[in-house]
Amino acid sequence: MIYFDNSATTKPCDEVVRVINEDLTGDLWGNPGSLHKLGMKSSKAYDDALADCAKVLNCSAQELIFTSCGTESANTAIQGFFKANPRLGKTVISTRTEHKCTLETLAQLEKQGYEVRYVDVLRDGKPDLDKLRSMIDDTVALLCFTHVNNESGSVLPLEQIISLKKELCPSAAVYLDCVQSLGKLPIDLKYMGVDMASFSGHKIHGIKGVGLLYIKKGIRVSPMILGGGQQDGMRSGTQSLPLAASMAVAMTEADKERKAAYERVSEINAYLREQLSARGATINSPEDGLPFVLNVAFRNFQSETMLHCLEIYDIFISTVSACSSKSKKTSYVLEAMGIDRSVSSNSVRLSFSRYNTMEEAQAFVKAIDEIYELYEVKVR
Amino acid sequence: MATNVILARMGEVTLKGLNRGRFEAQLMNNLRYRLRSFGKVSIFQSQSRIWIEAKEEGNPYFESEESAKELMTAVTQVFGIVSVSLACKFNGDINDIDSNAAEYVKNLLESNPSYKTFKVECKRGNKKFPMNSPMICEEVGAYILEHYEGLSVDVHNPDFILHVEVREENYVYAGKMMGHRGLPVGTAGKGMLLLSGGIDSPVAGYMMASRGMPIDAVYFHSYPYTSEQAKQKVVDLAKIVSRFSGRMNLYVVDFTKIQLDMVKNSPHDMLTIVMRRVMLQIAEQIAKKNDCKCLITGESLGQVASQTLEAISITNEVVDMPILRPLIGMDKEATVRISRDIGAFETSILPFEDCCTIFVAKHPKTHPKHVDIEEAEKNLDIEAMVKQGVEENLEVIKI
Repeated sequence: MIYFDNSATTKPCDEVVRVINEDLTGDLWGNPGSLHKLGMKSSKAYDDALADCAKVLNCSAQELIFTSCGTESANTAIQGFFKANPRLGKTVISTRTEHKCTLETLAQLEKQGYEVRYVDVLRDGKPDLDKLRSMIDDTVALLCFTHVNNESGSVLPLEQIISLKKELCPSAAVYLDCVQSLGKLPIDLKYMGVDMASFSGHKIHGIKGVGLLYIKKGIRVSPMILGGGQQDGMRSGTQSLPLAASMAVAMTEADKERKAAYERVSEINAYLREQLSARGATINSPEDGLPFVLNVAFRNFQSETMLHCLEIYDIFISTVSACSSKSKKTSYVLEAMGIDRSVSSNSVRLSFSRYNTMEEAQAFVKAIDEIYELYEVKVR
Repeated sequence: MATNVILARMGEVTLKGLNRGRFEAQLMNNLRYRLRSFGKVSIFQSQSRIWIEAKEEGNPYFESEESAKELMTAVTQVFGIVSVSLACKFNGDINDIDSNAAEYVKNLLESNPSYKTFKVECKRGNKKFPMNSPMICEEVGAYILEHYEGLSVDVHNPDFILHVEVREENYVYAGKMMGHRGLPVGTAGKGMLLLSGGIDSPVAGYMMASRGMPIDAVYFHSYPYTSEQAKQKVVDLAKIVSRFSGRMNLYVVDFTKIQLDMVKNSPHDMLTIVMRRVMLQIAEQIAKKNDCKCLITGESLGQVASQTLEAISITNEVVDMPILRPLIGMDKEATVRISRDIGAFETSILPFEDCCTIFVAKHPKTHPKHVDIEEAEKNLDIEAMVKQGVEENLEVIKI
């Protein structure tokens, strides 16, 4: 099996499976909120996990909340921010290429009377900074951006955006979706200038069901889930040690391997760009994008057809967009980047992880050659 | 003690002459098959009507009007049934009729608070009963009026008609659910439906089944051009049709190689026609092997390029069996209405690639002539293609 769909989800790594197993089978199953010895033991381990996560992100443990996923983190950050700060203004800046969890949350805010200003993105997927400059004024309360786009791999020019913000609306807060960048790009929350950020476990060889939300000290956010006041009242509900520990281990492992993985995946990406371009494929991902994502259009193959052809070779990729010949829906991200419909309807996303190898990339190219020979259909 | 029973009325079946017994027996069989998952029920016929009762106490489908709805819906889906009512059955004299009728009306008004007017109609099969029908109507009507102040009688245009039947036991009921009418499936010969993932073909299958025709279906699968999800969608559609048509075999033809062969070796503006011709031949072969006497398609005149009269005549030529096209003169909107009515529409519009869409030329020939098809098929070994479709990797799914 060749798994090139790591932006969708990843296989839990051995260390993660081991720690979950330990936490479930040993004497760590107590409620971290209990006052007895058993509970205290879990509580201690839970705090350790939180501290490990904080260490990787270079923030304080008090600034992190465990959530169920990236989507919950995004919802809590954006909705909770405005709930807690009703007087800060009702203007948000974002792009049309955000993940659906941000776009849907923003759409709901718009229904409630908020103004969302969407800055256009350029062909490389990055926000048009000139336009952004003209859009920002001191009424802006929140900026929502994605560190690395999940479909194109475009990397946000964060420093420039932060300096624009400091210049034009210093009191606004910045929310950053770091789900795709975690474990791949350096994330140093102390110096990045963001006020809220979301993370997910299962994209970095952790498991589904756990994410993190960073809220910088001093930023007020209302909780979405009320109850027994766990996690300083920010997310009630009994804390899950296995999930928290799995997140900590996944983050620590990814951090440890980050630089080596980046180099290896860069080579894979460069190889595939070269080989696939030579075969007439169109590369949609920008040159300076994150190497872990490669969005590419194969001529004469609709996205879904290519996905199923590769499936025959036990190679798994993603179409991203649910393309259908009837509704002709293509990726909204590629559309926002100004990519022609005829290209985006043939586009698929390859996404890599630290476990992928050059041999797999070579096998992929070989499979593409065979697929063209066996399955290419040119109906005029 | 009063119990709930279900009364189903037959339609066209009762107009049959010497064959009527056969039609009725088939209808009873079909009902038994359709209701096999509703607990133990007894189904019997009495005076051109069908009564359905729980065999054992505690069958949840008979407990209330709400819980009976699912069962009644299943009965309406059996072709041959015109309408269905939930009735209350009990023993006793006129006092029992009064009290049970009042109880029935109470429940009825709870679920239909807008009802203001009513009338009572009575049938008296038990001639030993001391009152005749008009007397019973009068008595029950007066009793209801006394007990429900908001109600008044309107014999011309009532909001509901309360039916009272006096037989060995007594029954009261009001209101009915309409059935899908038609003739009991199994009273005509079997047909082979060409089922795609679209809106039309499930409706075509439903329509032929409504004339008593049992149905098998054939689907042409072109993996990897069509996905497993697209196949699952067809299986789901077959299940929806089979709610009405009963047991069905779905034959899945592995069509990929055949289609690729066509793309390579025939002109693309004739592709759809060539493909339809091969599909029909494969379907006919499978139909013959499985005792089907005709083919059924969802074609509607002029809807797409392959459904012009010229194209239909050319595709028609390759098979001997009759091809039934129940939608041929129907407007798309009417087809969609039926599709919604039988609960297929939501599944039909799910977005998966289906085999007809990927292999379609930009400008297909809409008025093909004989010479065109001769030219188009000249480099194809049609016989081998049909043989391949019928014999290689044919999958049979029992629905």
